Amino acid sequence: MDRQLRKIAIVVEEFTLRSPAQQLLDRFLIGYPRDGEFRRLDNCQVWLHVVSGGSDTEVGRRVKDHDLRVAESIDRTLANADGVIVVWRGAGSKANDDLLRATLHSMQSGTLCFVHGALASGRNAARQSAALAKSRGLVLCSGTSTAVTYRLPEVDLPPKAKTREALIVVQGPFPDAEHEALEGLLPAIERRRGGETGVKSVRSIQNDEVWRAGREGLWSWSLLAAAISHSNTVQGDPVKDGRTQDIVGQGLIQALAKNPRGWVLEHHDPMRTTILVLDGAVADYNFAIRLADGGTVSAQLYRPPEPAQEQFSRLAAAIEELFRKGKAPWAIERSLLVAGLLDEFKLRRR
Amino acid sequence: MHEFENNYPDHTHRPAKALWTRRRFVSAMATTAASATGLALLTSGCSSPRAPSGRANAERRRRVAIIATEVRIHSHAQHFIDRFLEGYGWHGAWHHPPMDVAALYVDQFPANDLARERSRRFGVPIYPTIAEALTLGGPKLAVDGVLIIGEHGKYPRNEKGQTLYPRYKFFKEVVKVFEASGRAVPVFQDKHLSTKWQECLEQVADSRRLGFPFLAGSSLPVTWRIPSIDMPLNTSLKESLCVCYGGVDSYDFHGLETAQCMSERRAGGETGVKSVHALRGDRIWTLLAERGVAQRLLFAALARSHTVRAPDGYPCVVPTLAWIKQCCPDAVAYFIEHNDGFRTSMFLLNRLVQDFSYAGMTNESGKIISCQMHLPMPMHISTTADFFNSLVNNVEWMIVNGRTPYRVERTLLTSGMTLSAVESLYRGGVKIDTPEMRIAYEPMAKSTFWRA
Repeated sequence: MDRQLRKIAIVVEEFTLRSPAQQLLDRFLIGYPRDGEFRRLDNCQVWLHVVSGGSDTEVGRRVKDHDLRVAESIDRTLANADGVIVVWRGAGSKANDDLLRATLHSMQSGTLCFVHGALASGRNAARQSAALAKSRGLVLCSGTSTAVTYRLPEVDLPPKAKTREALIVVQGPFPDAEHEALEGLLPAIERRRGGETGVKSVRSIQNDEVWRAGREGLWSWSLLAAAISHSNTVQGDPVKDGRTQDIVGQGLIQALAKNPRGWVLEHHDPMRTTILVLDGAVADYNFAIRLADGGTVSAQLYRPPEPAQEQFSRLAAAIEELFRKGKAPWAIERSLLVAGLLDEFKLRRR
Repeated sequence: MHEFENNYPDHTHRPAKALWTRRRFVSAMATTAASATGLALLTSGCSSPRAPSGRANAERRRRVAIIATEVRIHSHAQHFIDRFLEGYGWHGAWHHPPMDVAALYVDQFPANDLARERSRRFGVPIYPTIAEALTLGGPKLAVDGVLIIGEHGKYPRNEKGQTLYPRYKFFKEVVKVFEASGRAVPVFQDKHLSTKWQECLEQVADSRRLGFPFLAGSSLPVTWRIPSIDMPLNTSLKESLCVCYGGVDSYDFHGLETAQCMSERRAGGETGVKSVHALRGDRIWTLLAERGVAQRLLFAALARSHTVRAPDGYPCVVPTLAWIKQCCPDAVAYFIEHNDGFRTSMFLLNRLVQDFSYAGMTNESGKIISCQMHLPMPMHISTTADFFNSLVNNVEWMIVNGRTPYRVERTLLTSGMTLSAVESLYRGGVKIDTPEMRIAYEPMAKSTFWRA
């Protein structure tokens, strides 16, 4: 049975325009499209606590125009909240463990908490936060909009599919790109037969080593080709004259990608996952998964344009569902794995 | 298994006609284009017959001629030509069409022309006339398919604001070659057929008279949909609406194709259009106030858009009519009545949205079926206009299989709606009765949009 939401509390490190903090706050404050209709949270107060930084003017505007409640203390912000959203600064890959712990301590038992971004700054901190939430009777979940964004085409792994290998292409600085890659790919591959089994090894590859690893079969060129075939943002000649171009088949991708880096993960089941961060080759996220029967499931993780960035409506819907149903939309173990892998990436980065 | 695979091998409406023969072709040539009037009585069984060249040429790669107005970055012709020459992403792989571009005819060469560069790089000759492009400089038709891409380029506009692209002229020159050669091959024509209804009718009549598969229209009906849904066939549908952006005699056609590819799947199929009423500005909202269903559909379609303009500094808005009016003082809307009582509305809401969204309401339950037809525009969210991939794939499919994957009557009707709306606006927003648009047809059973 759906719970009536009377108060949602949002704790943000900073409030700036076009940040995930704004995208989520404004959707709960104003309303957003969901399942083909615009919806508002009627009779629900939205409370905000800003730790530091950002635009006081923009916060003040929301107080005036949309009845946003702002509190100086976390305790007051969280009091009697049905659900709590914590949003880190920036894209969300750098967690503030102290802030999450303080939030979890202030929450009333039975409350639900969604963390936008990484659950914690590392493996141990993530475990501690999960344990703290559990001990206090709180439901805890974390992730980014990439986990729930549109797939073009709208594909998913067949139920209990046996898989061999997966690859995702992303762009951006470390560790934001890696974080988004995990957020985009893990929800797809965790549906494989037996579910996620964990990662037993991580290998970092950089620059020419990335391509050498491909030639040596450490990752699959055909999966790279399948993933890139979904890109709508191939760089190089298409930018100059609009042509379509098979940058993998024509061997152009090596020249286009600036300072490529990658990560090859061996799972326990065994399953191999490769993350390629290829700045300069394409400007969208695309993945491909090889099934045991030789088939491939591949798609673009479509991120709609600014300013609306409608993938945040999908994330807002997942959070609202969490608050209404009292059940996390995905397992906390995914978040623990993401935090652990980001930790590992930091250690192994050369 | 078909020799060319795509995701819509639907042949439930395969025509019962035999292969085209030279004798039948000659006989058909004697038939005048007056058969165009017969189009008003088209029945559900009508479809394009199999092309004569089909299996006989299976051993060699097929050849196509592309007839274009201009080829420069992001012109429609560039999108088509490059997909045939370079290939494109399709179902998780790079797809090279199983045919060669054997000839180009290009009408205009702007300073940023790309036709000559493509011609040099791929060794595709540019012929000085359409006839030479189709015959490869020889005495008879020498290609297996023809694409007419008459969009973009410098062409005059008439007093109604229509750009006089030479689509009809190009088409008739193609037909002349078919007639002189005694055989015809599949033809694709981009966008609406022509700027005059009689010319549109004549084009479709020519295709029937000479028996060649004729496909036309926009990429909207075949691009990705978000969510990836189709109108269930034989849905008891009450009304359709598309909200989009762009200009009159331009993107309005895409909006109408967006709605029509869904509407035609309603119970009873398409019955043709009874009237078209186009309005600008405040008069739209006065009429909409009397149309409760259209109002609901407008907001349902907007809820599928990813670009609804919000107040400055906000990413999202729950739009109201007041907000729409404020954003769109120059709004344009078309209100279309079909012969079976069905209604279609199309809204061009510049400065409110920059995408194409659809909503339709069913009769019994009032359920709304809605989606966005996804167009990742170059310079905006893409570098290549990949919504053309699916359209090109459909053209390939037609050339290989010798029949159309969907009906040209859809585009005949949307062409007529566009022309009538232009006329309605030109006459100051009067409602125009369209008895000539009694174009009835049934859709293909299987969906033809781009999905997994």
